[in-house]
Amino acid sequence: MDRECVSLLPRVCEVLAASGSSLPDDTSLEKLLDWFTGLTKAGTSLLESCPCLLEFISTVVHNTALDPSILSFTLRLTGFVAVTEVAFKVLQESSVLDLVFNLQHWQEAGLWEDPCIRIGWIQGLRTMMQHPKALSFFVQADFLQPLLQLQTDKSLFVASAANQMLAHVLLSCQSVSSVGSNDVDEEGEDVGRSGGSIADLEYSAVTVETNQDYAAVVTAISECLKKSLVPRENTQLHQSLQILKLLALLLAQTRPPLWEKLLQMVADSVDELLVAGYSQLILPLMDVILAAYSSCDVNRRAPDQRVSRLLSFMLNIRKPADLIQAAAAFLRRGLHDLVHTAQSARVLLLPLDIITGLNLLTTTDEQRFLMMEQLKNKTSCISLICVCLTNTPQMTLMAADCLPCPPVLIVTAVLSLLKLCSGDSSSPSSSSSGCREVSRNVIGSSKVQKCALDALTALSGSPGVEVKLAEVFTLLVQCLDNPDSDPTVLQKSFQALVQWMSVCSDLSSITDQHRQDLLQVVRKRSCDIRWEVRDSTVEFLGRLAGVRVIQTTAEEASDASVAVLGGCCFTTPLLRAALQDTESYVRASAISALAQTLAASWQQGAALTQEQTEIVNQLLEVLSWDTEGFARRAVVRYFIAWLSSMSSHSCVQSPASSSLLMPSVRSVLSRGSADLDWEVKVHTLELAELLLDEAFSGQRGYTKGNPTQTHPYAVIPNTLHTRTHNEEDVVGVLNSLVQWGVVSALLSGLVDCDRPVALRACRLLITLREVVCPLSLGALDATAAMATVARVTCELPGCGWAREIRKMLVMKAKDANAEGGVSGGEVVNCDDCGEAGQEAASVGGQTPCVSVCEVLRSLDLDERLDVLTRSSDHVHNSPLSLLQDILTASSARSQPDTQQEVIADCY
Amino acid sequence: MKLYCLSGHPTLPCNVLKFKSTTIMLDCGLDTTSVLNFLPLPLVHSPRLSKLPGWISKDGTINLEKELKDCAGRVFVDSQPEFCLPERELLDLSTIDVILISNYHCMMALPYITEHTGFTGTVYATEPTLQIGRLLMEEVVNFMERVPKAQSATCWKNKEIQRMLPGPLKDAVDVWTWKRCYSMQEVNSALSKVQLVGYSQKVELFGAVQVSPLSSGYSLGSSNWIIQSHHEKVSYVSGSSLLTTHPQPMDQSSLKNSDVLILTGLTQMPTANPDGMLGEFCSNLAMTIRAGGNVLVPCYSSGVIYDLLECLYQFIESASLGTTPFYFISPVANSSLEFSQIFAEWLCHNKQTKVYLPEPPFPHAELIQTNKLKHYPSIHGDFSSEFRQPCVVFTGHPSLRFGDVVHFMELWGKSSLNTIIFTEPDFSYLDALAPYQPLAMKCVYCPIDTRLNFHQVSKLLKEVQPLHVVCPEQYTQPPLTQSHRSDLMLELQPPPMPYRRCSVLNLPFRRRYERVYILPELANSLVPSEIKPGVSVATVSAVVHSKDNKHTLQSVPKPPPVAPSKKRKRVMDEPPVVLAPKPLLSGAVPLEAFLATLQKHGITEVKVEETADGHILHLQAEDTLIQLEEDGTHIVCDNNEPLRTTLRDLVLRFLQKL
Repeated sequence: MDRECVSLLPRVCEVLAASGSSLPDDTSLEKLLDWFTGLTKAGTSLLESCPCLLEFISTVVHNTALDPSILSFTLRLTGFVAVTEVAFKVLQESSVLDLVFNLQHWQEAGLWEDPCIRIGWIQGLRTMMQHPKALSFFVQADFLQPLLQLQTDKSLFVASAANQMLAHVLLSCQSVSSVGSNDVDEEGEDVGRSGGSIADLEYSAVTVETNQDYAAVVTAISECLKKSLVPRENTQLHQSLQILKLLALLLAQTRPPLWEKLLQMVADSVDELLVAGYSQLILPLMDVILAAYSSCDVNRRAPDQRVSRLLSFMLNIRKPADLIQAAAAFLRRGLHDLVHTAQSARVLLLPLDIITGLNLLTTTDEQRFLMMEQLKNKTSCISLICVCLTNTPQMTLMAADCLPCPPVLIVTAVLSLLKLCSGDSSSPSSSSSGCREVSRNVIGSSKVQKCALDALTALSGSPGVEVKLAEVFTLLVQCLDNPDSDPTVLQKSFQALVQWMSVCSDLSSITDQHRQDLLQVVRKRSCDIRWEVRDSTVEFLGRLAGVRVIQTTAEEASDASVAVLGGCCFTTPLLRAALQDTESYVRASAISALAQTLAASWQQGAALTQEQTEIVNQLLEVLSWDTEGFARRAVVRYFIAWLSSMSSHSCVQSPASSSLLMPSVRSVLSRGSADLDWEVKVHTLELAELLLDEAFSGQRGYTKGNPTQTHPYAVIPNTLHTRTHNEEDVVGVLNSLVQWGVVSALLSGLVDCDRPVALRACRLLITLREVVCPLSLGALDATAAMATVARVTCELPGCGWAREIRKMLVMKAKDANAEGGVSGGEVVNCDDCGEAGQEAASVGGQTPCVSVCEVLRSLDLDERLDVLTRSSDHVHNSPLSLLQDILTASSARSQPDTQQEVIADCY
Repeated sequence: MKLYCLSGHPTLPCNVLKFKSTTIMLDCGLDTTSVLNFLPLPLVHSPRLSKLPGWISKDGTINLEKELKDCAGRVFVDSQPEFCLPERELLDLSTIDVILISNYHCMMALPYITEHTGFTGTVYATEPTLQIGRLLMEEVVNFMERVPKAQSATCWKNKEIQRMLPGPLKDAVDVWTWKRCYSMQEVNSALSKVQLVGYSQKVELFGAVQVSPLSSGYSLGSSNWIIQSHHEKVSYVSGSSLLTTHPQPMDQSSLKNSDVLILTGLTQMPTANPDGMLGEFCSNLAMTIRAGGNVLVPCYSSGVIYDLLECLYQFIESASLGTTPFYFISPVANSSLEFSQIFAEWLCHNKQTKVYLPEPPFPHAELIQTNKLKHYPSIHGDFSSEFRQPCVVFTGHPSLRFGDVVHFMELWGKSSLNTIIFTEPDFSYLDALAPYQPLAMKCVYCPIDTRLNFHQVSKLLKEVQPLHVVCPEQYTQPPLTQSHRSDLMLELQPPPMPYRRCSVLNLPFRRRYERVYILPELANSLVPSEIKPGVSVATVSAVVHSKDNKHTLQSVPKPPPVAPSKKRKRVMDEPPVVLAPKPLLSGAVPLEAFLATLQKHGITEVKVEETADGHILHLQAEDTLIQLEEDGTHIVCDNNEPLRTTLRDLVLRFLQKL
């Protein structure tokens, strides 16, 4: 622990014990507790390192007039202090412990009404309960009954904490008693699961006597579970709910003897609860049953008969809404149970079956009738269908023998549901009047449409559904064309279309008519009145370009955009028009989409077209003039994509393409690093990094990416060492980096006021320094070894970032002079970089030049990196600062006349 | 109460309500779909139209080459277009007392009704309805009179011949009643009978009923009407809208507690959501302009066009259409655009507040100022010199049979770059385009109908809870083309009463009460007696005086004081002695107490029999029956008057007297 903190703590304790009202803010106590938590976790014994805490606790606990928040804090703190057995003993011997957790004490003081005291009591106990002594304390003090009462506390937080605590107690008892009864074989298997929290229990300390106590606790808790599970009247549902939550916790974590016992105790009550059929309790009940069930599953035990029976009962409830919920809950667990999985699938497909009339499955008439009645109500119809749809994708991934029908049929059903939503008449269900009444409920429901489209997207991956591609395509295009589709529906339709094409990849079933329809609809949606729709359309064009498909005619892979839309000649004009959009999101999406569309031509090294030149000019204009950050960010990303695609395909690099790329990259670097948006600047640095990678790839000492992030034992590929260190090469490369503006971009980033920018620039500069002029060579060695490299200079104009850099260099030079080191003249290559020199330079209109190497070596980059790596509020958030704040606030409070209250703006 | 239905068209209604001795015509819509059977009237000579072959029946027996022309397989009448009028034989139109107009689209048949039928009543309408209605009539008259056609085709209307004709002509109904357009003089004469009313203004009709217009939210000055007497209320709902477009929002609450609600003018496009259509309109427009084509929007010169312009005003920038000219061509274009700006009090709240800024309520003023929107009375004159392409043209008539639109169809129809976007829901776009086939130009159908849809109307009816609903029969079943859409019809309990053209409905409620006034002096003379706490009753003898459907109770005139006469009184002159009326009885005879009283009077042998309405007491010894029923008591006692009197007095003891 920090020595300074230790020295401040006694005074802080004094302040807190005196009055809690002078805290700097209401989070201080929580922050203090966080600090103690950290210390405890790190293995520090609080009592040893801060003996003052004992006194603090005993003082506070007697002073019930204190602020309840301080008292609650003390309760919790006591838990932390007593977490080790030694400290626990000390506390117990000084009789602090008894008083702190004495319920009567708090009740008499009238403080128990305050929920923060109650929760402090529970949490303090919970933290402490890590060793058998604490457990004995708990048992002997007879805390079980109050805890059980707190389980239905009116404060949700208290109730939930009590539940957790009860589970913790029971599990602790289980571990201890199982040791006591020498149930060794279970122990080995379950040490990990029974919670690391009680790992340090000293099993040997358990006596037969205490063992009986524990058994009594277990019995008391299970009795209570049994008794309170079934509500006497409707108003007690809350209690049942709490018990069910606890039961779910317990059944998931306990092991056989106890598990059996618990189940034995509650089975009848659960049965009773099931028969009573409270809809609100269905999900918690299902949680309990599934917890019991999966506990068997995880432990590779055969499923318990009782549990299986309960599960079967749940999956046969007569209330359709409850039934669907139960089935969905079962399916979400993904348990290996063919029978019940198949049953759940049937339940979940029933609404879809009824509404589409597709005969997906065979069910009893009664089930069908009940479900149909439920579906006739519009609200419940929509929610049932949505639950059903959300689960369909998962169903289609199940083993074929679990599914009542092949996935293709489910796709057909979803398609026909979508048709119903748009009011299409061709649905087969129109025959029966009941179905008509049901299908009427989904007409025009965009909620169902969205769910169905999500399901359709996910279904694309199911086995054997490729045959449906043409049908899906037609329907999605209809959805896209429908004037009433809302923007989200359109977006999801576009996504589904891309997904299906990317999964199916064989587009031979797509006819020319399909293509024409899609072209028409894309053209229309790109002019939509809602910007969200234009945005999704533009995004779609980009994504489509990234999808590789096969057209059987030529058996040649191409991208989907070429295959269905005819490629660039259709998309590029639309995207270029979108660059003029009034909404910046659309412009940004258009730029990304352009990058995706043109990626293929970059990679193939296709010759430069007039259009590409125009696009580049347009993009550079966006970077300079666009008022919104999104669009400018997208421009920089465009060039990143272009550059990286060129470098990854350097073998086919087209000189024509580079002739356009490199000059534009130069402009991007200079404009991007001067941008007002920090993300644009970070992206610009990413571009600079790409250029560094490109320039130094294979150079010795150059590690791609972040030097500080490389693992010390990482295997460095041999290729990095293949090229010998050739100074001439480095000079050439460095020169070109200076010319492209990489060095300027990095230097300007370094002094940026946005930390992420500065951090990234700093890392890159260090990387550069390690290649060009590593610090490992001493100053003199370096000068000698890099005589030629040092001649590479870059310009430092007299404004903005360059002025900052110059100032830093001058400071460094002065420091060096003061230390009597080498003369300052060599640091900066220009005649004189003092204030006078700067002025002369700017007056004369000349831009002074500095040696890149010298700059890199003189900027104290490592120190700077160190500062930048820490979060900006690291000082503010340290425990020391917290303690100081508390002290300052209290002194300010005690001398109100001498010091004015600091009024802070809090947002 | 009776309803006579003179038009079968659900959105262009013309009904007559007979209610309490008044005869009220509700709207007089003109069904203009009949013009689709005619050839377009081109503004300049069209070689294409003039070269169309005449029609001869297949067997050659009927030759109507002069009257009928064949165009792309369909036959059209080559004559001045004619309109289908409301039924005029169902009742004598001269008996109509008033005509209530709900909006400017529903008054186009007014001259046919008010002129030459003997009509002498008054027409009630709001000011915007009158002014814009006048513009629309003027526009049609202008369109027709600009290109007069000497020929008037009548042979094809011969029943024998019509049966032999192909296609829609064969099925056209009542073709003999079709009439050519009225003249400006008739329009002026008809409109001179209009009396202006404001929303919620109450107009007394002969003291019998009160009518009052309510805002219906559909168009400028559009209204629904409440027709009520003291005890009955009929609501007439015509084109209404709940959307927030330019007009004042719909007044729904005043429709509550109606005995009968006559529901007409629901949306003609139940499946086309106006917002979606507006979006479709804009994107198709932008798509065409970007591709270098022109856009033609056939529309009425008032109404949705204001919303279209407003929507475009916002869309122009985002679609980079800033430089594209928008033209609005109509003889009344200028008036329509300007009128819309001055009817501030009839606009939605949002637009009303702009007036105080001061700013024009509609943004089309700014479009005009910045020269983005230009308007011309016709294609002749200034327009031709300033016309630039690609452009967007708004012009009438939406039927494509007359007006400047015909010219643009001929001009742009041949190029697939151009697009025609239909926004008016009144005409089937395929029928409208039929005489222009083959057509290369793209067609987009975005009908924008802001009137109530079925979902909205069911919600409305649930809220206002009328006892009975009367509606066109079209609303009681799903549309023919979408028979599975049971959501596109009215489902009510009790089911609505459907009507069709020429129906006469007896509206299912009886008038049970009438308000009667009592004069103060007569009221003074009443002696009320309390029959139960808070309820007092008095008998009144008076003379009912009825005049102008108002009924007043006046004191019975006292006999004139006999003039002192020396003549001997003649017995015959004595006024009849007015006997004081017998007191009225009220209350019920309690059985137990009555039996006890009977016993006191020595009647002991009483057999009580329970009946459906009360009890029968059989006094066995006296052989007498007493029937005690809810609304009467009978004592059947033969030949024993004293006993009867005693019994009567005993019964009377238990009753209150007035």
